[in-house]
This record gives sequence, C-alpha cells and structure tokens, in this order.
Amino acid sequence: MILLQSHSKYLLQLLTNRLQNLDKGVELDCQWIEFDDVRFNVQTSMKNPLILLLSVSLPTPPPGAMFVGGLPSGSIEAIKAAYGTVVKMLDPPKDGYNLTLRLNFSKLSPDEETRQALLMKVASVREVVLGAPLRVILKHLASRSLAPDMDQLVALVHRPNEAFFLIPQTEKVTVIYPMRFKDSTDTCLATSFLQEFVEARRSASAGLNNAPSCLWSPSPPEELAGVPAEALSANAGFVSFVIFPRHVDSKKIDRTVWLLSTFHAYVSYHVKCSEGFMHTRMRRRVESLIEALDRAKSDPEKTKKVGTKTSFKRLSLKDSRSNSNSKASASWR
Amino acid sequence: MDASSYRPAVVIDNGTGYTKMGFSGNVEPCFIVPTTVAVNDSFVNQPRTSNKSSNWLTQYNAGVMADLDFFIGDEALARSKSSSTYSLNYPIKNGQVENWDAMERFWQHCIFNYLRCDPEDHHFLLTESPLTPPESREYTGEIMFETFNVPGLYIAVQPVLALAAGYTTSKCEMTGVVVDVGDGGTHVVPVAEGYVIGSSIKSIPISGKDVTLFVQQLMRERGENVPPEDSFEVARQVKEMYCYTSSDIVKEYNKHDKEPSKYIKQWRGIKPKTGAPYSCDIGYERFLGPEVFFNPEIYNSDYTTPLPAVIDKCIQSAPIDTRRALYKNIVLSGGSTMFKDFHRRLQRDIKKIVDARVLASEARLTGGMKSQPVEVNVVSHPIQRYAVWFGGSVLASTPEFFGACHTKAEYEEYGASICRTNPVFKGMY
Ligand SMILES: Nc1ncnc2c1ncn2[C@@H]1O[C@H](COP(=O)(O)OP(=O)(O)OP(=O)(O)O)[C@@H](O)[C@H]1O
Ligand SMILES: [Mg+2]
Repeated sequence: MILLQSHSKYLLQLLTNRLQNLDKGVELDCQWIEFDDVRFNVQTSMKNPLILLLSVSLPTPPPGAMFVGGLPSGSIEAIKAAYGTVVKMLDPPKDGYNLTLRLNFSKLSPDEETRQALLMKVASVREVVLGAPLRVILKHLASRSLAPDMDQLVALVHRPNEAFFLIPQTEKVTVIYPMRFKDSTDTCLATSFLQEFVEARRSASAGLNNAPSCLWSPSPPEELAGVPAEALSANAGFVSFVIFPRHVDSKKIDRTVWLLSTFHAYVSYHVKCSEGFMHTRMRRRVESLIEALDRAKSDPEKTKKVGTKTSFKRLSLKDSRSNSNSKASASWR
Repeated sequence: MDASSYRPAVVIDNGTGYTKMGFSGNVEPCFIVPTTVAVNDSFVNQPRTSNKSSNWLTQYNAGVMADLDFFIGDEALARSKSSSTYSLNYPIKNGQVENWDAMERFWQHCIFNYLRCDPEDHHFLLTESPLTPPESREYTGEIMFETFNVPGLYIAVQPVLALAAGYTTSKCEMTGVVVDVGDGGTHVVPVAEGYVIGSSIKSIPISGKDVTLFVQQLMRERGENVPPEDSFEVARQVKEMYCYTSSDIVKEYNKHDKEPSKYIKQWRGIKPKTGAPYSCDIGYERFLGPEVFFNPEIYNSDYTTPLPAVIDKCIQSAPIDTRRALYKNIVLSGGSTMFKDFHRRLQRDIKKIVDARVLASEARLTGGMKSQPVEVNVVSHPIQRYAVWFGGSVLASTPEFFGACHTKAEYEEYGASICRTNPVFKGMY
C-alpha cells in the first residue's frame, strides 16, 4: 500500500541530526516545499545549539475557509496540546510564513522514547496545524456532540485556494471533495480511479466493511447547495465519505485526520503511479515488438541493431489505457 | 510566468552510487541515498500453475501489487538484507541509466516519499554524465513530462554544474577542468565559457568502487577477520573514514612501520549472521587505496596512466588559447576526491609534469628565451562531495534558469526530441 506518511522525512532527519549533535552548533537555514504548497524553513545558529526555529507557511485559504489570525481555527490549541513546553510560538512569525515555532532541545524529556515521539510530532506539524479544525469536528463526533458555533457546512483548506467541505452532525460527518486536476490525462485517470475506488468499497471484498462508505458523482451533491459556484468547479467529480464515530475513536483519530486532509494528494499520487506503470508496460511492449520485428527479418544482414532504446511514444496510448484503471484500484485493495 | 517559477526548483543529481536530491537555493541536498531499488520479485517468479484461467486474476493482481512493493536507497539495502523476497537493482551503471523501469520507480519515490513534493509544482533540474547519448535525454524527458507532469525540465551536464559550484557572489568562473571522481566513473572534462570541449574529455576506468575493491582485496589478503558477506561494505566504510593520500609511498610505509600505534586503526563490527562482535586492523590500505589514482598499476595491470598525466593530456589536447586558463582552474568534484590531501598530491604531480615540459622546450629553444611560468591550481572546496548538486542548486535559483528550461507546452508541441539539447544559459557566467 502506498500511503503518504504524516511526518516530513526531511524535517525528521534534520531534527534527529540536531538532537545527536547538540554540543556542536551549526549555522543552518534551509527551506523546502511539500505537496499542496506547504513551505518549511528551519534555522539554527552557532550561538545557541539548543534552539531550532521552524517556520511553516500554509496554502492560501479560499474565501470562507476557517482561518483565524492567519491560521486554521483551533491550531493554536492543537500546537499547545501536541508540544507542551518544548515548543513556543513566536509572535509575529517569520516574514512570509504563517507560523514560527521555537523548539528548545533542553526541554526535551530525558526518556528516549518520549523524545522520539515528540520529534516525530514536530515533524508532523503540518497534520497538527492544517488538521486542527477537522480534528475538533471529529472529536465532537467521537463524543456524539456538535461543536459550538459551527456552521452546518464547513469549508477547510487543503490546497492553495481550494477547500473541501464538511457537514457535521451528531451521528456522522459527511466529507466532500471537489476533485480538480490540471492535466487532461490525469483527469481521465483520476475519474476512473475514483469510480473504481467507490466500487471497491461497495463490493467490499476483504476487510473493507468497516471503512467509511463513499460515493462519487460527476456533479456537486445536493449538500453543497449554498456554496458559490466557483468553489464547485471540479473536472474529476465529487467524492464524499461518511465518517461515523467508530472511525474516530482515540486510537484512530490521528490517522483519520491525516488521511482526510490529504485525500487529494493521495489520489494524485496514485494517478502518477498508474502513469508510471503504464509507461513501464509500454516500454516492454515496444521492446518485444522490436524483437519480433528483428526475428521477422529474414536477411541476416539486416539484423543490425535497431537499438533497444526506443521511445514508447511510438506506441499509441490506447492499448495500455484500458488496463490502467483496474490497476489503480487494485492498488487500493 | 506560471506559479511554479516562484517556487524553488527540484534538483536531483543521479549518480552511479548515490543520488543527491533537494531544492534549489539550499546549500545542502535534503537527501543523499544509494541509487538502488529493491523490487519484490516473489510475484514475478511464481510458477505458472496449470489451471491458468482461474488463477489469472490473482496472478494479475499479484503483479500489480509487486509493482507497488518496492523501496529505494538505504531502505532498499535493508530490505534486501533482511528478506530474500526483494532483489536489488542498480538502475545506473557507469554514469548511464541502464534500467529505465527501475529509474522511473526510483524517481517516483524520490519525489513522493523523500522530497514529498508535487512534481507539477516545480521545475526540475536533473544531471547527466558528459558521455550520455541524446536518446537517454529523450527518455528522461518522456518520464518527467508524461509520468510526473513537470512544468519545466533542464538536464545539465555534471561537470558544468561542478564548475558552477565555485560560484561566488562576484564572479562565476566557467572555464576550467573538472575532475569528477564518483562511484562508477572518473571523467576529466575541460569546459570553456560553460561549454564542454567534447573532443578533449578523458575518462579513466578507475573510480570510487575500484578503491573500495582494492581496500577489500588488501584486507582479505592480509587475512583480516571480516565476514565475507560484509566485506565490501566494511571496505567502503574503512575507505571513507580512514583512507588518505600520501606524498610518497615508500616514506609512508616507513612511517607506518616505525609508529604502528599511530597509523594502524581498529575496525569493530558485528557479524551479521551470528551477531558476534569482531575486530580487525586497518593498515597500509589507508594510503594504498587512494594511491590507485596515482599508480594504477598496483591495482590493475591493464591500465597504467596516472590521473595527473591524464589531466595534463586532456589540457594539452584542448585549444591552445584555453590551456593556461584550464591549468589555473582544475576543480575537483565527487565523493572519491574527498581523501585527505588528494588535491595537494594532484597539484604537485601536475605541476611536475608541466614544469618538466617547460624546461624541455626551453632547452630546445636556444637563445635563452624564458617562457612565462604556467600557473597550476587545483581547487578544492568543502562541498566537493556534492559539488554537482550544489552547482545545480545555485544555477536553478537564478531567474534565467526558468527561461532555459524546456516546458511542458514545448514538449507537447514538439515531442521528446527537445530534451536533446540544453543550452548554456546566462547566470552560468
Ligand atoms: N569521505 C570520503 N572519502 C572517500 N571516498 C568517499 C567519501 N565519501 C564518499 N566517498 C565515495 O565516493 C563515491 C560516491 O561519490 P559520488 O556520490 O560523487 O558518486 P556518484 O555521483 O554516485 O557516481 P558517478 O558520478 O560516478 O555516477 C563512493 O564510492 C563513496 O564510497
Ligand atoms: Mg556524480
């Protein structure tokens, strides 16, 4: 199964490295970007090896998303709950970022396991911050209540200028994603991937009975009636999940929050993988065709090497496209 | 300009041994991982049962799962060690991509699991060896544009990037000879104004892997107690931690014999099979390993030209008006130039050759004409190990880079052949 992990591998590596070399300060200033335009910056200095500054910038929220003071609502509480005294939020954050955390290594617990867990949590800062509003809603679902002053329809940012939607109720939460892709091939693949995805859930072969039920439709579901039209332009349809309290018990909630807030990235990753596999198959196909052609040449003189390196572009896309869809869904099963 | 030009570019330097990947504008790559893929071939090798029809779907699905079940880098090495279901595949041999399927998977994991970026959001800068044929660039272009939908792609020549790594705020010297000693190949590449002088490239069949093999052989012949299945890996680590370049082998032997306690190091390890600890000595291989570049005959009787002589020959074959500038800027790049004092030895030996030639020509020319002395300068800098990557990071953060990239739109209009040429762009000089 290919799933995106909730922690940033690079951030975890940086943190672990720092922890192992606390006696030696280094001058670090590095920045990188993850999917959905989440940017990171890490700074350390020679002067104070025990301090690390981590700044994060989030995707620009579309109008109507739940943002308070430049951060998703509930994220300040979530940061405090996740990191305790080890991390302090700086106000204002570094220029160009939504959030700057000051990590103090000297405040880490002496216990190795607790330390590792905390660093892992810091490396998952994106889940903590971006997932905060979703977590609040799902926590209420777990206790079968409704969050106070919450609208009937909630929009949460997951990609730059794009939101997904939640309809919180006491017994269930419906989550709806408008799916958009830039490239036309991606759009086709994603559409059929999603249809198969829903089909896989419905036929519920192995162990999927407890998974949230899901639906795909080409047009906006009626729950989204009040939403402005531009937020509903989706070229690969709409996916909705129904989440029940059993999906968000205390053991599962972290995972559920992460999977729901990165669902679009998950589909996009699968689409890219499927394209990769199509190409592998096409390359093999071309190679075997060339071999066959070579064999067919009767005159031994003509069998000079045509070159095994031949572009798969020379084959049409059609013949492998039919396989790719079932492939994508099989990966999900 | 599309939005991806405001984001840092992804820079990936795929080497025979290690892949360096990260984002432009940074000083260090995010990850340096072995260029290897561990694929699960238990599905592939399953015996085909006779009742094919009923089994077809399970076999098909199994094949699909096998496609997804793979690891790269250190994880791949660990998997293949702990379980026999995974087999290792090294997609790059001697600097050239040999297995495109494995390469595509490798990139897939680099992008999605290591860098965790959306390839549609970034321009990409990839690297290739100076001897890569243009077809290979088309392949790379196809994979990048078709599978990953990158908005822009530039494929740079490794030694040119290594030169760009010497970039300072004042000036970027784009004329020089790059000595790139990696894991699978050693190339001496003269570059003038950012253009590779193709006809003068020299390659030698000795590189990092050979040093490792030689160290392994020396330790084995001395009867060191290293478990055979681990001996290559131990030799590599010994090489990277303890080897250095000596100024003179005979003197070095004497030093070791006089003060063994100072020069002989200890290696401690654990036997992978039994878990029992073991230890062994590291002796002459400390300086004999790197010596293969200066006296290749001690390792291989077929190849005997020392690296300094190859560098000299390379410069002598370049256009005459570039030679002085080339001698003045001999730049090292690649992990296997990291041996202590490697640049000193190289500089001394090249200077010797050059001075001898100058003397000889002066002797021939009667009348006591003195020619201007030739300045020989071997440049070494701290980021040498990933100089190629760093050069890429610097270049990809200049505004000109985005203009020099091939775009997805161009690819769709003209096809993969556009990737064959990647012009030198301003910002390189
Ligand atoms: N500190 C060190 N001292 C000596 N050798 C080292 C050191 N660090 C790495 N190496 C060696 O350098 C080699 C890797 O270098 P590099 O990453 O430049 O090669 P590559 O780019 O993978 O290969 P190529 O450029 O030939 O395709 C390996 O053989 C490694 O053992
Ligand atoms: Mg290299």
